[in-house]
Amino acid sequence: MAKGNGDAERVEEVLGERLGRGIIAVGRPQPDTLLVTIEPGTVLAATQALLDDLGARFLVSVGTDRRPISGDFAVTHLFSLDQSHLYVVLECPVASENPEIDSITPLIPGAAWSEREIRDVVGVSTRGHPDPRRLLLPDDWPEGVYPLRRDFPYNERPPAAEGTRPAWVPTPEGASVVTLGPFFPVLEEPSNWRLFVEGETVVGCDYRGFYNHRGVEKLGDSVMTYNEIPYLAERICGICGFIHSTCYCQAVERAAGIEVPRRARYIRTMMLELERIHSHLLWLGIAGHILGFDTVLMQTWRIREPVMWLAEVITGNRKSYGMNTIGGVRRDVTEVTKARILEVLGPVEKESLAVRDAVVGDTTLHMRTKNVGILENAWARQVCVVGPPARGSGVRIDARIDHPYAAYDEVVPRLCAHDEGDIWARVLVRIEELLDSIRLVREAAAGLPDGPIVAEITEEIPSGRIGVSTVEAPRGEAVHYVLTGGDNRPWRWRVRAPTYPNLQAMPAMAAGGNIADIPITLGSLDPCFSCTERMETVDVRSRNVRVYSPAELLAMSRRSGRPGGGS
Amino acid sequence: MWAELAVTTAKVVVVALAMVTTVPIMVWVERRGAAFIQDRLGPNRVGPLGLFQPVIDVVKLIFKEDVTPAAANKGLYYLAPLISLGVAMVTFIVIPFGAGHDVSLFGVPLRGLIVAPDLNVGVLYLLAIGSLSVYGIVLAGWSSNNKYSLLGGLRSSAQLISYELAMTLAVLGVLMATGSLHLSDVVARQSGAVWHWNAVTQVIGFAVFLVAAFAETNRLPFDLAEAETELVAGYHVEYSSMKFACFFMAEYLNMATASALTVTLFFGGGTLPGVTLTGWLGLFVSTAVFVAKMCFFLWLFVWVRWSLPRFRYDQLMQLGWKGLLPLATLNLVWVGIAMTMGWLR
Repeated sequence: MAKGNGDAERVEEVLGERLGRGIIAVGRPQPDTLLVTIEPGTVLAATQALLDDLGARFLVSVGTDRRPISGDFAVTHLFSLDQSHLYVVLECPVASENPEIDSITPLIPGAAWSEREIRDVVGVSTRGHPDPRRLLLPDDWPEGVYPLRRDFPYNERPPAAEGTRPAWVPTPEGASVVTLGPFFPVLEEPSNWRLFVEGETVVGCDYRGFYNHRGVEKLGDSVMTYNEIPYLAERICGICGFIHSTCYCQAVERAAGIEVPRRARYIRTMMLELERIHSHLLWLGIAGHILGFDTVLMQTWRIREPVMWLAEVITGNRKSYGMNTIGGVRRDVTEVTKARILEVLGPVEKESLAVRDAVVGDTTLHMRTKNVGILENAWARQVCVVGPPARGSGVRIDARIDHPYAAYDEVVPRLCAHDEGDIWARVLVRIEELLDSIRLVREAAAGLPDGPIVAEITEEIPSGRIGVSTVEAPRGEAVHYVLTGGDNRPWRWRVRAPTYPNLQAMPAMAAGGNIADIPITLGSLDPCFSCTERMETVDVRSRNVRVYSPAELLAMSRRSGRPGGGS
Repeated sequence: MWAELAVTTAKVVVVALAMVTTVPIMVWVERRGAAFIQDRLGPNRVGPLGLFQPVIDVVKLIFKEDVTPAAANKGLYYLAPLISLGVAMVTFIVIPFGAGHDVSLFGVPLRGLIVAPDLNVGVLYLLAIGSLSVYGIVLAGWSSNNKYSLLGGLRSSAQLISYELAMTLAVLGVLMATGSLHLSDVVARQSGAVWHWNAVTQVIGFAVFLVAAFAETNRLPFDLAEAETELVAGYHVEYSSMKFACFFMAEYLNMATASALTVTLFFGGGTLPGVTLTGWLGLFVSTAVFVAKMCFFLWLFVWVRWSLPRFRYDQLMQLGWKGLLPLATLNLVWVGIAMTMGWLR
């Protein structure tokens, strides 16, 4: 992928002009990745230059504890130049005494969570952050204990602390509070939305999430090895797990310079698109359910089922395929399975078209989704929204096209975008993608080249290399960042799920709406909380999780509804 | 005097039991019907075709723990489900299920199985009692001391007030044409031919009435008061066990009443065009016809529920005030003109 060359030089030039001696080093780990190490004091100027002069899109920020190697921390901001097919990695070394760096959130609202997370897990605080509250540590996690620092063992259980619970945003005057969550019928996973309402009109909201920490990243850099992590990665998400294992493998392959055989790339493409098909069908059903239209739910999930069976035929599992490994895939697609794939896709396409016609023609659905939950194009760009919500707001990004991976350079997807920015636009984007995915699977099956399915890896993966990889998940673009280390495992592995930026757009979409619009607005993001909250702490047996006996739970449920106790 | 009392008691028992029996049957129909529409099986484990499922459901509900929130307003909290169920149980006493006014038992005329004395304000009674049901919902919402409940109760009261108006105007058209508040007169007027049915002569009024009836029963697409995906379960979120069952039964009884009312007012009641029978045979046949017509509307309730998404609160209000109300008024104008021109019988 040498396309990015000329543009990479332009980036170097622009940054050179703006920063002068602020640039410490410039590297090219891969042809389409530019690594720029800068003085931490110039981070704002560099960000400004990337945004204004180069039109870069922010992906995610990563905090790394490098003290055992180089005696400092690193805050790494990842950017994408979509038109130039180029990643720009802005690395800022941060001194280990009193680690602090300027916040880029005032320039990029979408960086807010990344920076809060860095403060939480590696303890690098951000100067000038507009909302420096704790983001993802548990409420009783003590201050000053940073789980992703290298000196924090993965199985450490810090003592429970008092008074560390982050405050809620103050309720606006004249508004009252209605909470959605932490458990709520339409949310398959815990997530706590505090809605400020005047009557039934929502005037604002606050969010507290990250109830699903499973220590994925910590396990990745302390317990598991390179080739074990794909199986952990695909358990990040219960629906689109394959994208995470693919994205992780690609990041390592890129960091280590491993060339994946064409056949493996095609097989990955097929699996990725099959996953998109069943995920979008699932979403369509859930959207119907949220609007009180359960028949759509039942029908789409019925259509979806053969796709799950197909995945079982190909991989041995309905979910968590266990297909990916560093350097390729573990199971081949035989001629028999190929025929089976084409056989199953026929009825799936026919029935999907029927559902599309039914949904598109339903005027009540139009009433509920048109001009509801609007995400303006400009704000979508600022919050760095990805996936169908971005494309529904006219932001024409798609990782499959912007940074072609797997076999997407030969099996070219169609970019499905609409400009309205409302829920209906997101529905249309997903339906179009669903049908396009069926085409892509067929094309990938037809064009499946011969050859090996996994690259032979003879040398140890060198340490200190970085690999950035993006994969267009059904929910949007997932980003995995890997910094290789010793002991056959990454030094740092950062996962950014698509819901992570998308949830940050929720307050803007909710404001001005009706309470009845909130579930479908949230649903239209296709939120995946377990993806978003992969994160890094403590096992479930820690002191922070108490085990309640049935009798205690019963007593608690009887006490609920006490005056002043929640809603 | 004693004979009259005995006959009335018998009528009360028979009709009340029949109405209450529709609840488990409808629960079964709803679940199997939903499954049919959604291309799945539905309950099929308990008894043939899952027919005993409702029985098991009832047993389950009885044995569920009855939880009362500590902060609830106890009196109103207990009263609310009773109001809902009570109102649902007394509305149908003025409905003439059958024809056969010439039939009498022990010298007491049966008068088409109307339970109550044939009130000369039958229609008014129905509308008045029917609109009381909102108290059950509002009080449940208020007394539970829960925001979801409160929002559900508020939505429901706004909804009922809006739709009561359209519904009454639609009924007014029928009353103008009939010239009587007796429901048996309304039925008698529609006998003879299908084009005498008010559903034919007052199509707009019929449509308005039907939509309003759906809204009154708080069912999808108008189930804003409970709206599972928005308000958890709305006004009955804090109710469990038999108190919840009261609301549940009330919903299905209201469906039955609304169906019976639609049949009476717009579909010719128990009359079958072209068939005139008298005596006991007439009573049985007309009652069967009435039940058959009612079943059609009950099925319609199920059918619609699983075929439409939920409306939003403000959209429902708009439909009520900007859509149904003008249409109902238009219907009145039409009836007036038709009567003046002598087009209506």
